[in-house]
Amino acid sequence: MECCLSPQEQLLEDQFAGRENKFRTSRAHARAFKILDRVQNLTPKVDVERGKYFTESMRQTEGEALILRWAKALYNIAEKITVYIDDDQLLVGRAGCQGRYGILYPELDGDFLDLAIAELDKRDVSPFIIEPQDGKMITEEIAPYWKGKTFHENLAQALPPDTLKLTYEPDNPLLSRFIVNETASFRSSLQWVHDYERVLRRGFGGIRQEAAEKLAALDPFSPDDNCRKKPFLEAVVTVCDAIILWANRHAALARQMAEAETDPQRKQELELIAETCARVPEHPARNFYEAMQSQWFTQMFSRIEQKTGTIISNGRMDQYLYPYYQADLEAGRIDEDQAVELFECMWVGMAQFIDLYISPTGGAFNEGYAHWEAVTVGGQTPDGRDATNDLTYLILRSKREFPLHYPDLAARIHARSPKRYLWEVAETIKEGSGFPKLINDEEVIPLHLSKGATFEEIYDYAVSGCAEIRMPNRDTYTSGCAYINYAAALEMALYNGRMQRHGDELIGLETGDPTKFTEWEQFWDAYLAQQLNFLKHAFVQQHIIINLRPHHFAVPMSSALHDLCMASYTDLHAPHIEGGIDLGYFECIGYGTVVDSLAAIKKLVFEEKKLTMAEIIEALQDNFQGREDVRAMLRNAPCYGNNDPYPDSIAKEIDRTSLEFTKKYASELGVNLDLRLVPFTSHVPFGKVISATPNGRYAYTPLSDGSSASHGADINGPTAVLLSNFASKNYDYKERAARLLNVKLTPGCVTGDQGTEKLVSFIKTWCDLRLWHIQFNIINRDTLVAAQKDPDKYRNLIVRIAGYSAYFCDLSKDLQDDLIARTEHTYI
Amino acid sequence: MNPPTEKNQTGIVFNIQKFSVHDGPGIRTIIFLKGCSLRCDWCSNPESQSPRLQLAYNPAKCLGIDDCQRCQGLCPQDAITTGDDRKIVRDVAACDDCLLCAEACPTHALNIYGYQVTVDQALGRVEEDEAFYARSGGGVTLSGGEPLFQSEFAIALLSQAKQRHVDTCIETCGNVPWPVLQEAARHLDCIYFDLKSMDPATHEVATGASNQLILKNLAKLEDEFPELPVVVRTPVVPGFNDNQEAIAAIVDFIKDFPNTEYELLAYHRMGMPKYAYLGRDYPLADIETISQQRIDQLRAFAGSRLEQARGEN
Repeated sequence: MECCLSPQEQLLEDQFAGRENKFRTSRAHARAFKILDRVQNLTPKVDVERGKYFTESMRQTEGEALILRWAKALYNIAEKITVYIDDDQLLVGRAGCQGRYGILYPELDGDFLDLAIAELDKRDVSPFIIEPQDGKMITEEIAPYWKGKTFHENLAQALPPDTLKLTYEPDNPLLSRFIVNETASFRSSLQWVHDYERVLRRGFGGIRQEAAEKLAALDPFSPDDNCRKKPFLEAVVTVCDAIILWANRHAALARQMAEAETDPQRKQELELIAETCARVPEHPARNFYEAMQSQWFTQMFSRIEQKTGTIISNGRMDQYLYPYYQADLEAGRIDEDQAVELFECMWVGMAQFIDLYISPTGGAFNEGYAHWEAVTVGGQTPDGRDATNDLTYLILRSKREFPLHYPDLAARIHARSPKRYLWEVAETIKEGSGFPKLINDEEVIPLHLSKGATFEEIYDYAVSGCAEIRMPNRDTYTSGCAYINYAAALEMALYNGRMQRHGDELIGLETGDPTKFTEWEQFWDAYLAQQLNFLKHAFVQQHIIINLRPHHFAVPMSSALHDLCMASYTDLHAPHIEGGIDLGYFECIGYGTVVDSLAAIKKLVFEEKKLTMAEIIEALQDNFQGREDVRAMLRNAPCYGNNDPYPDSIAKEIDRTSLEFTKKYASELGVNLDLRLVPFTSHVPFGKVISATPNGRYAYTPLSDGSSASHGADINGPTAVLLSNFASKNYDYKERAARLLNVKLTPGCVTGDQGTEKLVSFIKTWCDLRLWHIQFNIINRDTLVAAQKDPDKYRNLIVRIAGYSAYFCDLSKDLQDDLIARTEHTYI
Repeated sequence: MNPPTEKNQTGIVFNIQKFSVHDGPGIRTIIFLKGCSLRCDWCSNPESQSPRLQLAYNPAKCLGIDDCQRCQGLCPQDAITTGDDRKIVRDVAACDDCLLCAEACPTHALNIYGYQVTVDQALGRVEEDEAFYARSGGGVTLSGGEPLFQSEFAIALLSQAKQRHVDTCIETCGNVPWPVLQEAARHLDCIYFDLKSMDPATHEVATGASNQLILKNLAKLEDEFPELPVVVRTPVVPGFNDNQEAIAAIVDFIKDFPNTEYELLAYHRMGMPKYAYLGRDYPLADIETISQQRIDQLRAFAGSRLEQARGEN
């Protein structure tokens, strides 16, 4: 190939050669680059204030209703947390100290915080700095309060023994076994999207007033009003007061700073900040700047409120901000560059926040400081018209010209998406940093209609977290869900309920010695029995989790922003909220690995009889040492990802049996638990517990990710990858949820306008096939190899991982190798 | 036995490649057919030249006979022995391409170039990607080798493809009997036609055949199928045609043809390893590859010359 570099790679080359990036000094981006340059390469610090003031308040409110305690704790934080304003910033409000920071959620991990903090700066992956006096405060003040009080301690006690042994190491519940893995204890909520529009239109003052009026109207004699509604409403009032207080502290500081400021331009900016923070989020926003600041206060306070899985998402920014932008534009108060500048002030603020995971499991799930404040663009209006507007294009432009891995950008695609939109989306993807990911309206909308949404609600969905969607006033499910290692089910079918890593311990079911099997169906039945046993325990886990969480977690602000919570006086973490749709899930990890392994066994052992089961098991136990011939035969068996009906029909059956299980049992939990194939980075740690597999995968290496093919197994190009995905889905079941699909292309095959045109048609076909999600890495393998060898030089190389992009050099060697091994499609 | 029809006509192909984005409009599937009447020194698909199935051997993939003995004792000609590195050695002269060893080889170190398919099977593979053609305007491209070398099979493929509403394209060297090209053109939506050099002697030295038939075929094609989009392509090979005179001569020949575009392809060596797998020497081992700068210059030159010539008309 002649043309070789993606724009991102070209930018790196330019940087090496000392050529200046023209966007760095342009009017729209100069401010954000200046702020970014100050913080980009700082090692993150642990800021203890949130954990300290939260704990301080919780000590004083024991015995009160949890939601009220939570609101009071937030008020205590809002009142005492250090406020500051970064140089050059236009948007203010931070959850922690200057630079890059992570904050503490002792309600999740307080009981082992002291031990973990001691290890934090020694971590290979995603290290943190902690000041000695802060470490002392954690050990002496924060941690002791929480011992015996945290959710994960209670959960470990509540799980039945046979579920427990699939969940944690029996002697240490802090260590996951990565078999049937719960994710409810390292975060207090699933990914979530607020109804930001409510804040912009009514302000927290308006919400406070609603709660105050309802409070006044309560029946003073009613026990339900007194015990349930009253504390809920008081909590809403308190949390509204908290965020308003926090904003006003920023207004006061800005005013002070403005008085002392000698630079006239900055002085003016600080005066405007002061005026704005005094106005929002208490009152409705009157212009684009106020809308942005109001949204920003809300999302930052959400980080203080709780640890939302993958961080609170931003919703449909191009929709709810558009009226403000349009009005300003028409009045001549703003131009495109100024709007882009404000967006980028926000993006840098996001990048300064680090989603600190204390637990080893949480860290393994979210490598590379991962967080996903998904910003949704495009899609359709609530009445089903195309929704793209000028802001859609400005956000896409910002992503091309100011390459930062925050926010995560998600573009909704539908059958009538305009050509310009598809073209700009394709051009942005071609930049090579992995943005935007695409979510398919043609799959999401009909599917959620069948799950009970109205047209209006689902047309207006927002992308949330990694690959999920939310209907902010209809969704009501927040419990972290089970990640199930399907490859472990396969391993247990091979070893009669046991795993190589755990010796003779019986963990699964005894399904028989596979070397005695004479028919493929026997092996399939053994595998299926293990798989269903995992599902059983996942659902038991979830049942307990759903009912236990409300005793540990509350979210007064998130609840105040939800129609159904306000209408029913119920915290969003309650097991059931009247009128809501509970969209939970369970996760299949290692799909491609399992499918390919089963296809190889079926073909080579039972059909062609070229290998015996004993030969395969012996080779697996030796990790193919000296048996590379067996490995080669296994690898050359039919693989998922090639549009080959042989493996794809097995894939469809694994999918179907999982759907059938949840169809039967999820209603007992009162929620939807739908099958999802979205791994974050968990296919790496999940692979670390699985010995060699019959698809020729070496022991303890990563599993296949999401619904993507196994590494290097997809040899028929990206069209076949999409078609296999289509072929293996069960469109007749409504119990399906997100499927994450990674496709890596070399820049050469999408070069020039012709390449963009072909990428657009590829995306349109993906839309036709009703696949849920797709994301692209458009990068040369050589660049990744070079970056691995010389990380300093490639510090700002961004790559796509699971549902997100991260700096390549922030990733572990395992995950870097995993990215390099993903098949690169390079046909010319 | 079924009566011979276009659908069950068989041919030998060596690859069916999906997601091709540089060989015709849209996203396409290329069927590579075996067999060619030219022997170009720079050929990047040496496995395409012979119309028969062929054995290839890539020692890098051989596990060595200490770890794998699956090919041992199979060869009727005793053409497989063991080298000093404990990997197998294939005696190309003694091998009669019976392919027994390749069928046993787990790593495809011993590999067979070519397999037989029917028109129906091949088009079945092509139609798998129909959803992509519908959005991109793609379809099937026949390549090779010379796709029209297996003339009946190729024409049956094209004719059936058209009946099934699949967009068709071929990449031809043009060195085929006119009636074959003529019949193929009746079923084509687009044609890529190679013109390597206007000089018959140079052409014969480098490709093994004169260019006279090729030039006549192109002229007849343009005359009889003026609506058919034609892309004339020249592989630019150092020491053969990497100069303005050679390119100018081609431009001057094609400048008046209707619906005709012109492209230059840079010589590359990506096919080199396959010569070794086939036990052959690489004919152009001594020449340099062409620089990006040089190919850009020649492209600019060809483009402006063609534009100028056409502007005058």
